[in-house]
Amino acid sequence: MMRQRQLCLVVAFHTTAAAMATEALCRRLGLAGKLISVPRQVTSDCGIAWSAPPELREILEARLADAGVETAGFYEIVV
Amino acid sequence: MREKSWMRDYGPIVLAGLLTGVAALMLTAWGNPKNMGFCIACFERDIAGALGFHSAAKVQYLRPEIVGIVLGAMLAAVSAKEFRAKAGSSPASRFLIGLFVMIGALVFLGCPLRMVIRLGGGDLTAVAGLLGFLAGILIGIVFLKRGFSLGRAYPVPAAEGAVFPGILVLLLVLLLAAPGLLHFSEEGPGSQRAFWLGSLAAGCVVGAAAQRSRLCMAGGLRDAFLLRDFRLLSGFAAIWITVTVGNLIMGSYHLSAVSQPVAHSQYLWSFLGMALAGWGSILLGGCPLRQLILAGEGSGDSAVSVLGMIAGAAVAHNFGLAGNPDSVTDGTYAVGGTSAAGMAAVVLGFVVLLAVTLTHLPKKEGAK
Repeated sequence: MMRQRQLCLVVAFHTTAAAMATEALCRRLGLAGKLISVPRQVTSDCGIAWSAPPELREILEARLADAGVETAGFYEIVV
Repeated sequence: MREKSWMRDYGPIVLAGLLTGVAALMLTAWGNPKNMGFCIACFERDIAGALGFHSAAKVQYLRPEIVGIVLGAMLAAVSAKEFRAKAGSSPASRFLIGLFVMIGALVFLGCPLRMVIRLGGGDLTAVAGLLGFLAGILIGIVFLKRGFSLGRAYPVPAAEGAVFPGILVLLLVLLLAAPGLLHFSEEGPGSQRAFWLGSLAAGCVVGAAAQRSRLCMAGGLRDAFLLRDFRLLSGFAAIWITVTVGNLIMGSYHLSAVSQPVAHSQYLWSFLGMALAGWGSILLGGCPLRQLILAGEGSGDSAVSVLGMIAGAAVAHNFGLAGNPDSVTDGTYAVGGTSAAGMAAVVLGFVVLLAVTLTHLPKKEGAK
């Protein structure tokens, strides 16, 4: 069971609802990414995070702020 | 780009499951009840009894395992710089949910962890509980997708996060220095106990391993269904396999749906009890074990959830809601199960969880 490790932007949240809202927002905007179980390197109140290509960081930060989705941190890590 | 190894992804969680399974087997060998080396619900119920919150004489003992789990998680969190005191996420609702999670678990006769341990002992009656737990988690996921949230927690002074572990340390001191202040069962599951130091050490190991790996029975199934991520679920599987293999080696594996230790064959209410526990666990963000781990990491909200569970144990035994095991009296096999009051409490629990859920859904726009 081998798969590629790659650098990802991981967005952590305080609540699962915020993670769900992020998925809905990104689907609506056509932004790449997916919900993932929070990697062990990231400490989070919520067990679900959003994983996206690192180049989307600025767009995501802006869009989530505009939509009022509260995040607990943006991390660029290899997962 | 590098290849990702299975060990890197699954190693810590499988190791945590392995350690938990071995600890459960050892505690049973040292004196804990059969198929109950670890049971968060049962042990919190025993603690409620030890403190006189209920008067069920057979289930009273201040279980050091619970103290150990919280302290182990706290030590692991502090050493990894992950101890963060925080609180403020709907504490009253958490108390209420915790209370009904406990009632559901005691109707079934075990928390999700004991459910797996029962399955590992060959207890086929626990299959009804497993199916119910799955159903409850699926209900919870439906509402998570609709934006259910108890709200976020906020940082509080570090001392606040140490209050709950501190209370447990004080209780341990009471057990060792002033046992006369506590209630002790002289028969029944509460009287069956490993030596306190072994219980405490086993709890510490499990608490630390679960903190580092994020082991969670409810989270494993949630991730599997919601994210198609099977990492957490592999910890669940590791416990099951370890306990099964250990019981087979020790000759204590009995594959049967009758005469299982501290279990009943009232399948419908086992199913519904664990469905209630599963749904509640998703709303709380983790199973009863996970709540102890989070409390050890400094979460005041999880501490309140645990206190709700302890209150739920007192309610369950004071009002005769908990399940009764199957038994053999004068050569006649008697099916146990829950009382009419217990059935009513489970139904009430579903109503309460639905009310809490509906009042914590986003009003108009998407969840914030």
